[in-house]
Amino acid sequence: MTNRKIHAFLSRSIITTLVITLSLSCSIIHFSNAAASTSSSAHTNNWAVLVCTSRFWFNYRHMANTLSLYRTVKRLGIPDERIILMLADDMACNARNKYPAQVFNNENHKLNLYGDNVEVDYRGYEVTVENFLRVLTGRHENAVPRSKRLLSDEGSHILLYMTGHGGDEFLKFQDNEELQSHDLADAVKQMKEKRRFKELLIMVDTCQAATLFSQLHSPGVLAIGSSMKGENSYSHHLDSDVGVSVVDRFTFYTLAFFERLNMYDNASLSSLFSSFNPNLLLSTAYYRTDLYQEQVEKVPVTNFFGSVMKTIHTSSAYRAISGKYGSSVKSDDVNAQRITSSDPEKLADNADIKVMKGGGCPHADLWNAIVEKFQGIKNADGIVNYGLVGMLALLAVSTWQSS
Amino acid sequence: MARSLSFFVLLLFVLHVSSESTGEVAEQLEGEEFTEELLLRPLPDRKVLSHFHFESKVPPTNSYGHHHRIFPKAIYQLVHKYRIKEMELSFTQGRWNYDSWGGFDPIASSNAKPPGVELWAVFDVPPDQVDASWKNLTHTLSGLFCASINFLESSTAYCAPDWSFSSRSGNLRYGSLPREAVCTENLTPWLKLLPCRDKAGLSLLMDRPSIYNGFYHSQRLHLTSDEFDPVALHGIVLEQTLTIVLQPDALDTRASFSSSRKLQPSWSMSSLFGKMVDGKCALAKSSNVYVQIEGSLVHNMKDTWNNIEGYDGEIAQEVPYEGFGSNSNFKFSIAPDRVMKETNSFHKDGYSVLYGFAINHYHGSKPFDLGFWWNLPVTWSCVKAPLRVSRFLMGSGNEKGAIALSLQSTEWSQSILKAGKNEEKCNLRVDVFQVVPWYIKVYYHTTKIFVDGMPQALEDIIEKMSVSPSEDKVSPGVMELILRLPCDMKSASLTLEFDKGFLHIDEYPPDANQGFDIPSAIISYPDFQTRLQYKEDNASIQSPMVSKMQERRTVLSYTEVLLVPLTTPDFSMPYNVITITCTVFALYFGSLLNALRRRVNEEERLLKSKDKRTGKLQLLLSKFLSKVRGKPWEPPSSTPPSSSSKFISSKVILKILLVAAIAFGWRYYDG
Amino acid sequence: MEKSTAKKHPWFWFWSSAVASIALRLVLIIYFPNTLNFSSRPEVSTPITSLRRLAEGYWLKRSSMSPYAGSMYHGSPLLLSILGPLTIDRSEGQSHLLCGLAFVIADFITAILIRAIGQRLQVANIQSLKSLGAGRLSKISENFPSGDIASLVYLWNPLTIITCLGYSTSPIENLMIVLSLYGACTRLVPLAAFGWVIASHLSLYPVILVIPLVLLIGSGLDTPPRKLFLQQTHGEDYKKTTNGSLHLINFSWRPVVLFFLWASAWAFYVLVLCAISLKEYSGLGEMFKRTYGFILSVEDLSPNIGVLWYFFAEVFDFFRDFFLIVFHINILFMVLPLAIRLHHRPCFLAFVYIAISSILKSYPSVGDSALYLGLLGLFVNALADMQFSFFLFSGYLGTLLLSPVMHNLWIWRGTGNANFYFATAMAYACFQIILVVESVSSMLNHDRALKQGATAVAKKEEHEKILKNLENPRSGVTWEEYKSMRFTFQVSQMPLLVLTMNDLM
Repeated sequence: MTNRKIHAFLSRSIITTLVITLSLSCSIIHFSNAAASTSSSAHTNNWAVLVCTSRFWFNYRHMANTLSLYRTVKRLGIPDERIILMLADDMACNARNKYPAQVFNNENHKLNLYGDNVEVDYRGYEVTVENFLRVLTGRHENAVPRSKRLLSDEGSHILLYMTGHGGDEFLKFQDNEELQSHDLADAVKQMKEKRRFKELLIMVDTCQAATLFSQLHSPGVLAIGSSMKGENSYSHHLDSDVGVSVVDRFTFYTLAFFERLNMYDNASLSSLFSSFNPNLLLSTAYYRTDLYQEQVEKVPVTNFFGSVMKTIHTSSAYRAISGKYGSSVKSDDVNAQRITSSDPEKLADNADIKVMKGGGCPHADLWNAIVEKFQGIKNADGIVNYGLVGMLALLAVSTWQSS
Repeated sequence: MARSLSFFVLLLFVLHVSSESTGEVAEQLEGEEFTEELLLRPLPDRKVLSHFHFESKVPPTNSYGHHHRIFPKAIYQLVHKYRIKEMELSFTQGRWNYDSWGGFDPIASSNAKPPGVELWAVFDVPPDQVDASWKNLTHTLSGLFCASINFLESSTAYCAPDWSFSSRSGNLRYGSLPREAVCTENLTPWLKLLPCRDKAGLSLLMDRPSIYNGFYHSQRLHLTSDEFDPVALHGIVLEQTLTIVLQPDALDTRASFSSSRKLQPSWSMSSLFGKMVDGKCALAKSSNVYVQIEGSLVHNMKDTWNNIEGYDGEIAQEVPYEGFGSNSNFKFSIAPDRVMKETNSFHKDGYSVLYGFAINHYHGSKPFDLGFWWNLPVTWSCVKAPLRVSRFLMGSGNEKGAIALSLQSTEWSQSILKAGKNEEKCNLRVDVFQVVPWYIKVYYHTTKIFVDGMPQALEDIIEKMSVSPSEDKVSPGVMELILRLPCDMKSASLTLEFDKGFLHIDEYPPDANQGFDIPSAIISYPDFQTRLQYKEDNASIQSPMVSKMQERRTVLSYTEVLLVPLTTPDFSMPYNVITITCTVFALYFGSLLNALRRRVNEEERLLKSKDKRTGKLQLLLSKFLSKVRGKPWEPPSSTPPSSSSKFISSKVILKILLVAAIAFGWRYYDG
Repeated sequence: MEKSTAKKHPWFWFWSSAVASIALRLVLIIYFPNTLNFSSRPEVSTPITSLRRLAEGYWLKRSSMSPYAGSMYHGSPLLLSILGPLTIDRSEGQSHLLCGLAFVIADFITAILIRAIGQRLQVANIQSLKSLGAGRLSKISENFPSGDIASLVYLWNPLTIITCLGYSTSPIENLMIVLSLYGACTRLVPLAAFGWVIASHLSLYPVILVIPLVLLIGSGLDTPPRKLFLQQTHGEDYKKTTNGSLHLINFSWRPVVLFFLWASAWAFYVLVLCAISLKEYSGLGEMFKRTYGFILSVEDLSPNIGVLWYFFAEVFDFFRDFFLIVFHINILFMVLPLAIRLHHRPCFLAFVYIAISSILKSYPSVGDSALYLGLLGLFVNALADMQFSFFLFSGYLGTLLLSPVMHNLWIWRGTGNANFYFATAMAYACFQIILVVESVSSMLNHDRALKQGATAVAKKEEHEKILKNLENPRSGVTWEEYKSMRFTFQVSQMPLLVLTMNDLM
């Protein structure tokens, strides 16, 4: 019955969220430009969702890409509990890995990306399109712990980095399902309407990455793709010790850009964009900035890749924070409610069962008596066998009579 | 006035401080405590077993309150939210080698775990809420330890053992994920539960690459709480152990004089872990390092024993190290602080010895780096489990197969039984606990038991058997057995036949061709208790690890994980299957309905309406004429039936050819 | 070949070849118990009829668990208590012998009943033709003892033999179905009700046989369409014929009511027995869930010669219920139109129903095909002008030889994939569909032929009248000429078509 309770609650919450979403969307539709302005709550926090979508050892480089980004954003100040890291396979302790518990993105094994405290939130078979969309839209079941949720608010900047094998308007997950560009755009739309982000930077390193953004329409979204439609994204170099190529070109040069930065200097996004050299990438990086209000020359990269907080004394920040904790509190007391609420329901059920028994029809007791008899019967199998023999006899007799 | 007031304030302040300090003292007395220990043991096959043991306790809440300084808050909340009585979670990589690393000592039977993740928990909730608690617990743990433990949430993944797995039944749930990867991200949160994480103390040794370079490592978290008992005595006890089997690279060539026989590799902490311990963890009540020398090894080093025999507790401080001086087989780089001798050895030949080192007085400038050098070559073998257990698959093909469990007696178990047998009919009790996923459809009526190759009647071998067969997509199959095997048997085997299930296309994992895992079975021997009773030189230092060794627990061992390949449907073409099947159904429906719809005389009507323009009017006319004549009008009924049937059949043929062509084309288009 | 011999000395040849087939079965069972294990073939034993699963269920029951615990056994508890004791001690192979004997006996009884049905059908047929006054028709359609042919076809059908050797319980289901038909033919109402109830208790699908059974009991055996009788009897006054009063006269309600009474009685009896045998466990609710529920919601996706397993292994989950409904409705849709068109031939109607349900059922096996192929033999005379008989025959042969090969390639060798095996299943379904459609259409044609024959006879007299009345002779004559010669053509081509038709078996 607790399950029923959960479902009831879940459906109710979903309905309410839908209603809210609808109203929000209406308002947004009505004052679209106003919506953009209303979403100008102050920048409260930074989140990063880093996804490596491809399985199997020969895709080592995708995990290396993701882990390099992970390390970079951690270095630039995003704390671990605000990074959702999804790794589709275990490379570090893979049996084929010559360097156990280490992952390198360069053949000079200077830097062990897998360091000492990497926190992987979704790994292995958990990295599915469904889970990815759940993380973005925040529609988890109640039991999912906070460390696996994207608890962003309307003031947060989110970096969404994805790498894997892709194609025209899709990105393969685990080599057996796809994330379509429509799914991505829809998820982002939901996030916008649920006020889950202020600004979102989507960075994708895959073949024909640009096509993945073709459906995006939500304001406040920046998109960077490693290659245009019809282009491939290539790996950078092969590590003969590890035996596979360890990093992709786009990510490699992105890291090269970030290695020069620390979290206090404010290089702008445009400088990042201009740092991509098509001749080095062997593909032309793609930037989509039409949905983004501020001009990218002014925006420092640490808006997304780092967490540079300035203390704010307005009420908006407070509201944002309250909103942020509101969600988590809700999920918690949902658990509590489920744990506690089962007993009264059970009592209720027993009660109405009693009512049924009491207010039965007059034949009920006769039936009960028959049932009593059934229960009273010993060695049922013998009786059944006798019954079968009797059935045959009865059959013979009746047939003889009727013929 | 003013000074009196100030004096009063001062007095108040002093009182307050004193009260606080006394509070502090009281807390120190019966507060939470944390101990860290490390056991090192040379293994026969030139490897070294290192076993970390961290234990932190918190007194019961009702007497102690909610504030802790040492005990991890996450675990405390876990216990209180889901009302956990007992829980054990283990992450393991590699398989414990029962033959050469021992199957009978406490570490083997309590810390040798199946590969992947194993989790079992006992809840203190009404039986109808246990599953809900389990589900939430798995999710919380998966968040806590960065592992996909939440796959244990689904009812096909866990089971409720009836009696065999653990003495307490009912509220216990057991589940294991054989294919769960274990890596740094699992160890880090585990270390974060320690008061001083991996920054100080013994946990400083845990350098990830060297740990995961080992042959076997199992990180285990075991917690017991009596928080919810009416009289809570111990509160919550959290026991974290990390068992690693490492291959020391031969330290140095001090043994160059050694003759043709190979010398066991000497090792030191720095050579094993690449790190050293500088001082204890400041919060630890006691932090010790032990080196255990097995009984059989001691037995093989008899020559050194004359020094040992003279030794007894009082003169512990100086004797052992000198005793093991130049003439002994091995020596330590640091003199052991104390030596403990096993008092009750169930095998007569030797007593295992435990050398204790306290690392209290080491610090950063003088790090603790214990070295262990072999002087003389020595070989020994460690104590094996009563039976050598292995499980394997029989049969070929993807339709059916059989699980076989083979038990072979080890030589010294024979001797034990001979020694221990007092009645004429001696038999060995073996408990088997096996969980198979639902897509392995076991026919339990095909259970067969062979002893020394001879098929046996089940009822005189199986003492008790309880089976809960697997339910498709609902629950796994659980089999719990008590076998009574004759002592003098050489080998016994138990076989079960099964059919391989066929799954829906969505139920296959991304790498379906890799096959599916059957989690390892648990074989336990309730007749045998592992117990190492050490005679401590001074009782003041009691260590939780040694006391763990001393408590009696039944010997148990895990079998291999089985990898079962299942046949897969064609993942690429669901649409084609759907369309082709629907085409066949349409063919059936349409052609049959067509055959039925064909009226007797419609062809006749057609024929008539062909030669006469106005067939209808003609019909009316003929009716009228017939009326006039007064003879019954029957509809001009005639038909060329063969032609009609030809008509149908030609259509049918055409459809079939169409379907065949479509199927063929699709096959080649996709394949 | 035995059919041609059976034509010469029906009695001797029939019994000798029947006994020979039984002997063959016994020899195969006794001397090759394990060398040919058909019991593991997916074509032979389905999750419903597998004897191995039954043994597991019996083991569970003996170890005081519900036989339905764990989704292994899906049959009826009564079958469990009949066949269960025969399945224990599989180690000595004793059980093989006992179960095999049981199935051989079942097959034999089925064959005998089919023969009896066939004889009655033929008698009824001849009578009706005689009453039509078409003497030559009756003469022509005497030529084959269809009962002997049908029963021999059933006995010697390799599918039947494989099913009997394959230790699947479908021979017993077939026996029950044929028993109900026999009871209905001989108007033994309790017998018919018994067979129907047990058959639909064992495997859900025979429920739809209630329509042909009621028609048989109500209005007797197969006859040509009733209009002809009307034309014969009261040709003169045309008004009486238009209202279906005669139909009501022929159809007698009393035995039908009796049939339903007996059926409910038997059903109650069976349910009581099931309830008793399952009382310690979960009772009737679980029985229905685990038998009928398992049949209706295709849960077991292990391959068989049907088309549903692979479909439901591949179809998306949110469409699953829709397609379940569609596929089961496909059986029910056809029930009514067939009943309307073939209400005057209940046995043939029953045959069509059995064939359809064995094509479209969730877990089909060759045992079902064996049954309807046997029954098809009953209508050799009527279905003489059926088309594609050789095509169908080779098609059946080809698919049944190819499907083990494909299964081996897919499951054992691992060189082929599931589509190979599914393709053979698809082809098998297509051939069965063609068989059904062809037989139905040719039966309708046969009725037309009879009608034309009858009208030819009628027309002759009428034609004399017409000639007397001197009224435009030519057209009538030519018309009648045309008819008669068409008809003779029809009749003349019957025997050789019968021969081609027989080698379909």
